[in-house]
Amino acid sequence: MPFTLETRLGRIRVERRVGYGRLYSISMTLLSLAIALLVAGLILASLGLDPVAAFQVIFGVFMKPSLLLESIKQSIPICLAALGLSIAFKMNFWNIGAEGQLYMGMIASTGIVLLHSYYGLFNEWAIMPLMLLASFLLGGAWCLIAGALKARLGVNEILPTLMLNYVAMLVVEFLVHGPWRDPKGYGFPLSIPFPDYAKLNFVFGEPAYTGLLLSVLGAAAVFLLLEYTKPGFEIKVVGQSPAVARYAGIRVRRTILLGSFLSGGLAGIGGLSIVSGIIGRLRPGASPGYGYTAIMVAALAGLNPWVVIVASIFFGGLLTAGGALQMSMGIPRAAAQMIQAIIFLMILVGEFIKRYKIVLEKPGVSGS
Amino acid sequence: MTVQVGTVYLLASLGEIYAERSGILNLGLEGIMVMGAAISFIFTLAYGHLAAILASIIVGILMSLILAVMAIYMRLNQTVTGLALTMFGLGLSGFLASPEIRRIILLALNPSLPERLLAIQEAPKLPEIPVPGLSEIPVIGCFFRQNVLVYISYMAAPLMWFILFKTKPGLSLRSVGENPAAADAMGINVFKLRCAATMISGGFAGLAGAYLFLGFQPFWQEGLTAGKGFIALSLVILSTWNPLKAILGAYLFGGVEVIQYRLQLFGLGALSPYLLAMLPYLIAIAALIAVSIESVRKRIGVPASLGIPYSREE
Repeated sequence: MPFTLETRLGRIRVERRVGYGRLYSISMTLLSLAIALLVAGLILASLGLDPVAAFQVIFGVFMKPSLLLESIKQSIPICLAALGLSIAFKMNFWNIGAEGQLYMGMIASTGIVLLHSYYGLFNEWAIMPLMLLASFLLGGAWCLIAGALKARLGVNEILPTLMLNYVAMLVVEFLVHGPWRDPKGYGFPLSIPFPDYAKLNFVFGEPAYTGLLLSVLGAAAVFLLLEYTKPGFEIKVVGQSPAVARYAGIRVRRTILLGSFLSGGLAGIGGLSIVSGIIGRLRPGASPGYGYTAIMVAALAGLNPWVVIVASIFFGGLLTAGGALQMSMGIPRAAAQMIQAIIFLMILVGEFIKRYKIVLEKPGVSGS
Repeated sequence: MTVQVGTVYLLASLGEIYAERSGILNLGLEGIMVMGAAISFIFTLAYGHLAAILASIIVGILMSLILAVMAIYMRLNQTVTGLALTMFGLGLSGFLASPEIRRIILLALNPSLPERLLAIQEAPKLPEIPVPGLSEIPVIGCFFRQNVLVYISYMAAPLMWFILFKTKPGLSLRSVGENPAAADAMGINVFKLRCAATMISGGFAGLAGAYLFLGFQPFWQEGLTAGKGFIALSLVILSTWNPLKAILGAYLFGGVEVIQYRLQLFGLGALSPYLLAMLPYLIAIAALIAVSIESVRKRIGVPASLGIPYSREE
């Protein structure tokens, strides 16, 4: 029996839509996006701000080469974290902890830089590979905590991953206020600036391109993992039904451990891209919520790694637009965050409209 | 002090217990709380405390309605929807309470406000009202030298326990969370009841945000809840969805935070304040682990349909 709602106008019936094309799906997403921008515009207009000018600034970000490059740069941590989340979400593992895993990646990368600059342990060419490895391992380990709790003790992962975000941020605060503070930094809570060999700029000397390369490699890795390998297949089966997975002889616990580790590891590399691509040192609040934006991106991209890249650039652009809005119109930075969330909500509603159709029956017409 | 911090958690978790008992996980708690704080900030400056408290409850209910419509009627994933709501709350509160926008809103609400109030980052704290007699008792007297919202939380917890476990609407609510199909067959309107429970959780979360700001730290900071909504969510699990046990849990977390402040004051040796600040989050994780181990042993109840959208089709 379909879901119905009796109203004075008649009966509203919601029916499941059977099968729909890709074009329909994409156009619904774009429509949701447009409605979201309309809602955001109405909020701005109701406060006496000029929405048209605001949207000109926002879309201007994608037109001007320097700002587009900045948007791509901002999209790298979002993209890598969202790629990791795609693995976790495919496994039905609700990793809300990308933010903390990003911070752990930053800590690992900074740790390698500091080790080298204090003790000179490594060759300079080995620094970047070591940073990649360390950030992957530490980010992965951070997510593995929640994965192990779920696999071993059956603790739901949502709250532990969330809590660990706050813990990770405090670890960064502790380090840069204490042992890792730059002795030449006039007492500010900052690490030493990264030397050139620890910077992410080996493609055309530009972090945006280097990061984009990382994103594409990451997307390819996730795509290959999920589509063409046995562990990837197992991750998907566990996500669809742990019971089926167990019957099929898949070691569910081990799969959860592996999936959560990979998920956190990719976010960890995202952390590397923040400290050595965007900021060039470690500082508190280095991520303006990339890890949370990544959840949106992964969900909106339907966990498709290639779409994740495009969606991240869009949200990276929105983040860049936040700064531009403040500079040119005096609209607070939080506006960009608000618009982001409205887009998220509207696209979720769009998902509903995609899956169901709403039928309005006039009174007098007998229902089925 | 313990009570003062604990009340934030108590108010937020009381409402959330109702939502989760009905089968709805409201992950938007954090966002609703921070909106409650922002709205209470603005309305206190414009109209005073009472209007601020009422406004934050109303805004909390409105925000939870977004979740109710999306999670109950549209059957969208509750985790994702709740998180979206939290992000919305964090963004919107930061936007509305930012100095530029706050000024516009304040002038619209109350054009006669003096210039001084348009720019300040703080609001007058809720006054403490000692209960005559009771407040002079040694040791427990401190429970009765609090502001009005704390007293409301004292009364709300047992009342909400009573409604949930001893009345017919409470029974319906619990049955909807355990087995919605059976409840539906008994003539209970699953959708309406879940919607009502979600709105209760929104109202309480809004109130918790107002309390956090007006009763505890009346300084505006973007994202001032700092995960308190999420800690309240773990508290709901720790209390095994029981309003009376939530009192104990809330004061436990309140106590942990107070210990952390105290240790900072004593400057306990080399212990960094940043490491101490991790305590509430780590204890929340420990609590989740303890409950999880315990629940396997005793089979204590997660509401069986928590997080699962109900539809008559399936």
